[in-house]
Amino acid sequence: MVEYTDSDWNWDFYKELVDDVEENKNIIQCISCGKCVGDCPATKVSNFNIRKIIRKVLRGDMSVLKDSDIWYCYLCERCKRVCPKDNINIPLLIINLRNESFKKGYGPRYNDLRKYVEMSEKFLTNGTVLEDPLEGGLPPERIEELNEICNFARIKYVFKASKNKTKEKKKKKS
Amino acid sequence: MESFNLVLNLDEIERQYPENSLDYFKDKKLCLFKACLEKYFPGVRWGIQDLLEELQLNISMCVNQSCCSGTFFQRNLITRAQFSAINERNLNEMNQVAEIVLFSCNGCYNSLLRGREFLKIPEVKKKTNKILNRLKKKGIGQNYPHKYDILENLNLKLLHDLDFLYLIRNDVLNSLKFDLKDLKVAIHYGCHYLNLSRDKRNVEDYIRNKTKLDELVTLFGGIPVDYQERESCCGWGASQLLINPKEALKITFNKLKSAESVGADFLVTPCPTCLYTLSKPEYRDKMYKWYGDKLDIPTIHLNELLAMLRGCEEERCITLRRKTPRLDEIFEIITRE
Ligand code: SF4
Ligand code: SF4
Repeated sequence: MVEYTDSDWNWDFYKELVDDVEENKNIIQCISCGKCVGDCPATKVSNFNIRKIIRKVLRGDMSVLKDSDIWYCYLCERCKRVCPKDNINIPLLIINLRNESFKKGYGPRYNDLRKYVEMSEKFLTNGTVLEDPLEGGLPPERIEELNEICNFARIKYVFKASKNKTKEKKKKKS
Repeated sequence: MESFNLVLNLDEIERQYPENSLDYFKDKKLCLFKACLEKYFPGVRWGIQDLLEELQLNISMCVNQSCCSGTFFQRNLITRAQFSAINERNLNEMNQVAEIVLFSCNGCYNSLLRGREFLKIPEVKKKTNKILNRLKKKGIGQNYPHKYDILENLNLKLLHDLDFLYLIRNDVLNSLKFDLKDLKVAIHYGCHYLNLSRDKRNVEDYIRNKTKLDELVTLFGGIPVDYQERESCCGWGASQLLINPKEALKITFNKLKSAESVGADFLVTPCPTCLYTLSKPEYRDKMYKWYGDKLDIPTIHLNELLAMLRGCEEERCITLRRKTPRLDEIFEIITRE
């Protein structure tokens, strides 16, 4: 069955991705050899198939942003190592696609991000992702620096969501 | 600005100090990067710290260093510029106290290298600069400097613990009280060590196996065993284990099962994140429930193993409260006089 026709071809999406992350232009060198798929841990345990994702991107098929597939990559960089081509950086492409997906409002399910609430909170109040690190967290004025760097980042929204939740809990208790 | 400029040139040291590479470090200021997960596995820190102290090297910790933030970058919770700014902040801070930074975690090591790599992209560099300038405007006084720049000619060098221990392996060997008594050892390097820095134009570098940990284990009197899943991921997968535990733990299961099936007595890794995934009792229970096999192969970080071999007391080197299966057995075998 023909998956795409010539009229489906859309370079704008590809250009957008390359505009954002120049390294993405290297995926055009992909010869579809499948080495990355054969060695990919995500492929072994799910329907994730990086070659399919690359094909969609090269076709300009933006539905890839809605696919849950892009959230299954382990960012292990194995593909980058085994790929016979010089500079194809799949984990970076995946991060970029996830970013676009976020921007368009498809993003991951809330449940997935919920796992990050605690870590985000620790980072923005302690400077580490664990409570009570080996030699204590960062001094408070240094925490300010991290908060300033992370201004407008999603980590802040995740953090705020956690604060609201704690408030709600407190309300319920009282 | 190439990322590998940040990596300490080991070949050069071996050339300059063919007899004893340790000499190179004798007049250097070293800093131990604080990995978040050392909280769960303090032996990962003490193992290396005790050795460096015994070797009378000049070491410190950087109080103002934050978490590398790799986990947030990998889940798109911060941008590349923010990630690079956090990295540059850490590099600035460490640069004030050290010349070489040592890493006990593949993830932290990879983060610092990657943050720098992004600065090669003009757009990211511009944005990172903007963030750092914003910080400067807020700066007041000595204790609150906020003065960070992208350090173009940074002298600070980064060094993974495994590479370091391998480089000074003869001195490490001399410091050991016990040996591995022919125990069979499954080696797990971890993706962010194994898949890093491959130069595809250099055929030898591209296809050759990474073997430093195997060589160390042999040197310490153990027998590295070959197992099918040797190069596979531990299952953590940039937090996939939290998000899709059933799939991720299948990878963990396959890895441990494959190591067990060739008779490995324990598994050793140079990364605390891999260690966390491979040893957490709750994960072992889940694997038993989901895949039907009870796995009890013990897992140890390289630095913890080093501490054991050097005769460090049990609580300090492997913190038994982490309750990894059969770790006390291995401790007992190794430290038997
Ligand atoms: S290994 Fe490289 S060239 Fe081969 S299919 Fe994967 S990305 Fe394409
Ligand atoms: S980085 Fe992602 S696509 Fe590449 S091998 Fe790992 S899981 Fe597969």
